[in-house]
Amino acid sequence: MKRGLLVALFASAGIIACQPASQAVKQEKQTLSAQAKTQEKVDKAQLFRKALNAQDKWQKACSNPTQIAPEGVDVAQFIKEMKETIKYPKDGKLVGDWKKGESLALLPKEYKALYGTKGGSRKGNCYACHCGDPRIIACGNIGPSLRGYGNKGIDPKLTYDRIYNSWAQVPCSTMFRFGYHGLLSPEEIAHIVGYLHDPESPINK
Amino acid sequence: MRKVILASLLGGALLFSARAESPTPEQLQILKEMGVSPADVIIEEGREYYHNLKGTTGKTCASCHGQDGDGLVGAYAKMPRYYTDIKRVADIDLRIKSCLEKYVGVDASGKKGRKIIVPLAGYVATLSNGMPISVELKHPEEKRLYEYGKELWFKRVGARDFSCAICHDVLAGKRIRLQKLGAPVRDKLYAHWPAYRISKDKLWTMEDRIRGCYKSFFLFDPDKGKFDFKKNWVKKPPFYIEEIIALELYMKRAANGAKIEVPGLLR
Repeated sequence: MKRGLLVALFASAGIIACQPASQAVKQEKQTLSAQAKTQEKVDKAQLFRKALNAQDKWQKACSNPTQIAPEGVDVAQFIKEMKETIKYPKDGKLVGDWKKGESLALLPKEYKALYGTKGGSRKGNCYACHCGDPRIIACGNIGPSLRGYGNKGIDPKLTYDRIYNSWAQVPCSTMFRFGYHGLLSPEEIAHIVGYLHDPESPINK
Repeated sequence: MRKVILASLLGGALLFSARAESPTPEQLQILKEMGVSPADVIIEEGREYYHNLKGTTGKTCASCHGQDGDGLVGAYAKMPRYYTDIKRVADIDLRIKSCLEKYVGVDASGKKGRKIIVPLAGYVATLSNGMPISVELKHPEEKRLYEYGKELWFKRVGARDFSCAICHDVLAGKRIRLQKLGAPVRDKLYAHWPAYRISKDKLWTMEDRIRGCYKSFFLFDPDKGKFDFKKNWVKKPPFYIEEIIALELYMKRAANGAKIEVPGLLR
């Protein structure tokens, strides 16, 4: 294509002939990029719609004005199906390393503010909704406070299940289904369980 | 010029916003006493565009709508609505974009376009200040989009099982970290949009707001498997698509009767 144009340009050999040709090239380039832009925009809209339509059937049941009471499904069946999605770490350990859990629970900036070193992650985002470590003041109040969570005698398996798929305990809960959606791996969830249950964790100290 | 004014104004304003809470009445009072809100500077820019921006047709906005926006007084109170010339329901952003492209002859696409559209939207919205929002659902397209907006409002989707309603109806009043969740439907907050966001130093229209919200949904392409920060995150819908306008129609209709007071001032 380009070579063809070049040949044409050379062949015409005169400045007068050259000018309209280069203009044509310019114009053609402009139309092409405009077309590409429109195409890209259509694709983005299509991709967005595809993502919107990727609603699972449980999300659909929760998409009513109450937002918390599933509609059109049997609640016992809802909970049963959600429980079946829960997977456990290969080594079977549900209580992991609290320090790794802390690094998953805190945002990088929160981690740095506490320890001055690199760490933290966007994955857990726990403090957006929960308070826990008293040193973190910028914590949300959407979920209950987790201060002293490990001292309450809660079964770690219940904690694990709650983080993996909160809808197996409370259908339509606001809490993300971290394991179900792959936001956290089973091993990572176990570390956060450690962060919540370990007596050495700042949650319980 | 704008930058200089903003810098001096925002020195103080940013100190307030450091704790990431909504500005308090005292802060708003201080800004009022100073006689100029940073948003006014942007809206002034919009007024400039309205009267002087010329495109390939040689017309300005004022050529059709009159000096000082005379013909557009009250127009914003009725948006979004169906427009016969573009055969679409349009919000203020899309209406201005269409006008710029169709009648003024200015390319208003993409980020460059937003730099013209947003100040213009701010300016045109201020022309309806003090008037009650009065979105009517007359045209079948308006009715259809309203219903679609309502559906989207409650639709829980994405890797965080979010919907608009879960945060802005059910949990409204609670905090995400230190940021309080507003209730646009219940409290008719649409009356304060477009709004100036101190933390971003930008005027935001409702389109910007909705796109920002959808980013937090963690939407993903189901064909590529589960959500992934790097590989599978459908961050924001493109501007001006039906879904955004439908949600605006739903929220603004709910705000009917509320007195328009723009630009709002937010964290």
